Amino acid sequence: MPLILAVDDSPSMRKMVSFTLTGAGYQVVEAVDGVDAFEKALTQSFDLILTDQNMPRLDGLGLTRKLREHPQFKTVPILMLTTESSDLMKQAGRAAGATGWLVKPFDPARLIEVIKKVVK
Amino acid sequence: MAEVHQDTNSAGSDFDLTQFYQIFFEEAGENLDLMEQMLLNLNLETADDEELNGIFRCAHSVKGGAATFGFSDVAELTHQMESLLDRLRRHELQPNSSMVDVLLESADASRSLLARHQAGAEGAGPPTTDLVSRIRSLASGEIPAPKAAVVQVVAPVSVPVTPSAGTVPEQPKALTAVVSADGVRHLEIRISQLDREDQVVALMELFRDIPGLGDIKARPWTAGTPREFEVHTTSSNEDLLDLFAFHVSREQVVIQQVAEEAAQDHALSSSQTGTPLGFGFFDGAPGAPDLLAPAAAAPAAATVASVVSKAALPKTAGAANAATSQPEAATIRVAINKVDQLINLVGELVITQAMLAQNSRALDPALYQQLLTGLTDLDRNTRDLQESVMSIRMIPMSIVFSRFPRMLRDLAGKLGKKVNFVTLGEATELDKGLVEKITDPLTHLVRNSCDHGIEMPADRIKAGKPETGTITLSAAHQGGSIVIEVRDDGKGMSREKILSKAREKGLDVSDAMTDAEVWQLIFAPGFSTAEVVTDVSGRGVGMDVVKRNITSLNGTVEIDSSEGYGMKVSVRLPLTLAIMDGMSIGVGNEVYILPLSSVVESFQVKSDAVSTVGQGAQLVKVRDEYMPVIELEKVFQVSRFDSEKVSDIMVVIEAEGSRVVLLVDELLGQQQVVVKNLESNYRKVPNVSGATILGDGKVALILDTAALVRRSRH
Repeated sequence: MPLILAVDDSPSMRKMVSFTLTGAGYQVVEAVDGVDAFEKALTQSFDLILTDQNMPRLDGLGLTRKLREHPQFKTVPILMLTTESSDLMKQAGRAAGATGWLVKPFDPARLIEVIKKVVK
Repeated sequence: MAEVHQDTNSAGSDFDLTQFYQIFFEEAGENLDLMEQMLLNLNLETADDEELNGIFRCAHSVKGGAATFGFSDVAELTHQMESLLDRLRRHELQPNSSMVDVLLESADASRSLLARHQAGAEGAGPPTTDLVSRIRSLASGEIPAPKAAVVQVVAPVSVPVTPSAGTVPEQPKALTAVVSADGVRHLEIRISQLDREDQVVALMELFRDIPGLGDIKARPWTAGTPREFEVHTTSSNEDLLDLFAFHVSREQVVIQQVAEEAAQDHALSSSQTGTPLGFGFFDGAPGAPDLLAPAAAAPAAATVASVVSKAALPKTAGAANAATSQPEAATIRVAINKVDQLINLVGELVITQAMLAQNSRALDPALYQQLLTGLTDLDRNTRDLQESVMSIRMIPMSIVFSRFPRMLRDLAGKLGKKVNFVTLGEATELDKGLVEKITDPLTHLVRNSCDHGIEMPADRIKAGKPETGTITLSAAHQGGSIVIEVRDDGKGMSREKILSKAREKGLDVSDAMTDAEVWQLIFAPGFSTAEVVTDVSGRGVGMDVVKRNITSLNGTVEIDSSEGYGMKVSVRLPLTLAIMDGMSIGVGNEVYILPLSSVVESFQVKSDAVSTVGQGAQLVKVRDEYMPVIELEKVFQVSRFDSEKVSDIMVVIEAEGSRVVLLVDELLGQQQVVVKNLESNYRKVPNVSGATILGDGKVALILDTAALVRRSRH
């Protein structure tokens, strides 16, 4: 069962994402911000990291950069969930080493659709 | 490359998002509260990135959730707030107080919109157009907004993506669209299970019938495979899908960008331009699916199929809980009546335990050693259990304190005063019931401090004080009580003025009264009239009500003031109303409980120390002070022992600033008693505030000391 790390500071978004993904047959670990996510990422081998951008302590871009600097996470897909769909944001995501982005709000079906592309 | 995002009704057909609503409402409420708090604490001149980012994040979170869960009115308003806050945190605008005002109002409006959704209200909520336009004009500021288009992100109705698509019927479901430079996209559309020729014709006729939709060409087809079409269009995939939905179900349709065009898109891979679905992958990024490889083309297509079948959901719902780590599992929400029931049961247990302890006293320790050891353990465990259970109902004072900054800001603004609000000991815990009941009296006291205590800025400067006044609200545990203080550095109260006002009112006063006694005068009913408020240094508006409320909670109020330097009101409350330290006294065969907090002292007197004055009222002289005597046997009409056995024990009690002496037969001891409400179990009994069950199973009444003191005045 593919293992996904879902990072969002909003409990309702976290619940929604995790419920959707577990319903689609993925195993999900939740993290409340970038710092929490990085600590959890080190403990298990994730098939995908799905992160919100705006979070306290460490945001999505910061988390992505930090993960990519670590040898363990050179290739793991990282998807950024963001309400900022501007090119600037995308370029920042790309520069940080993200795999792709998904604009919020999204519906559960679309989330799974996107994830199926990167998690085989 | 322009992107237009509109509010999507994101609830996927196979997913019931309502199950997350409650979490969202709570979370949004917390975010709005936090935002309000941070806005109030925001120093406009020195606002730092961390503060501004924090406020932004609150609005951002609420917006994200509201959009996801389909509360478009809240999403719209919070989106505007977010846009303004975004410019503030980027330092494109300097924060000012009108921004703070409109943001606070918008937070209030968001709360009421959310409350409507939570209550399941139908129809449109209160209009927010005024707030939205005010925020917009503030956000546009003096500097022209370079990203003005982004402000339009959340729009209530869908807008045609391109001029040529203007004839496409407007879809109720809004969409996300990406339009390339020339606007025309070359698509491959595959539709599975499309065997009927008439449906194919109908689909192709759409392109003929709707001008500007583009052109469609059917590819050669063999039965049993999906139909394939080539389409050139400026419309978005969502638009196409919505149109196709007239003839085939959305799940059958797969829209895909034709590869030659995708390859030309260097910066961002095909999904961005090829799909309006609001996601994409970066070329060559770690983990990115290789969209250009022919083998991967089919799975990478923008399917709109619902991946999870309805049948799969219930089966995996349990797994969701098991597999999900729960960061917020540290707390649970429990209905208050469950907690109350628990407290009640523990109360019964305490009584039973006390009964056992009392009955076991007669047992021979040598014979019943094990039983007695067990009872000792039971005693200890019961007490621990009781403490633990009581602590469940304890909530921090911050719940009350947090409402004051906003209130004071509004009030000070209205009065033209400058006030700095300081809170101490917000983590101090108090029983939930008490917290609710103390909120109003405290609000009154804080309002008074601002309204009547703190002077106008000019007056303060004249008096050599800092222009900004300070109001301090503090809470601390002291013994078994909590002490809450409201302190201000305003003008304080004038002893002379209060005394002269009291004389005018016909109150019994003398110049020899101590300051504390003088200050207590403002609690007298009727002392609080409008003129007094202005003549005296203000206090007085409903102070008798404040005092009465606090007294009814078994609490006390003390005032300390110094003219010109400010004033302090201290409120002392028991930590809980459910359990009370009591002194049990005997009158005849009856046992009564006095709240220990109101017992001052007890002593034995010779009968000649009691003198009778007019109308049979009795007074006793204690250390040169005369105090009224209340004979409990007359109050409750119980028969006393024979007069020879009467021991003339007197207990001095204090309530509402006066002292009276109770004449009792016996002092039986001190104990914690579980307070049972007499009114809800029986009916209201004069001079009695409640009842409790004693260790021997007898019911004892708890005396209402305030009522007894009032009785002695008549």
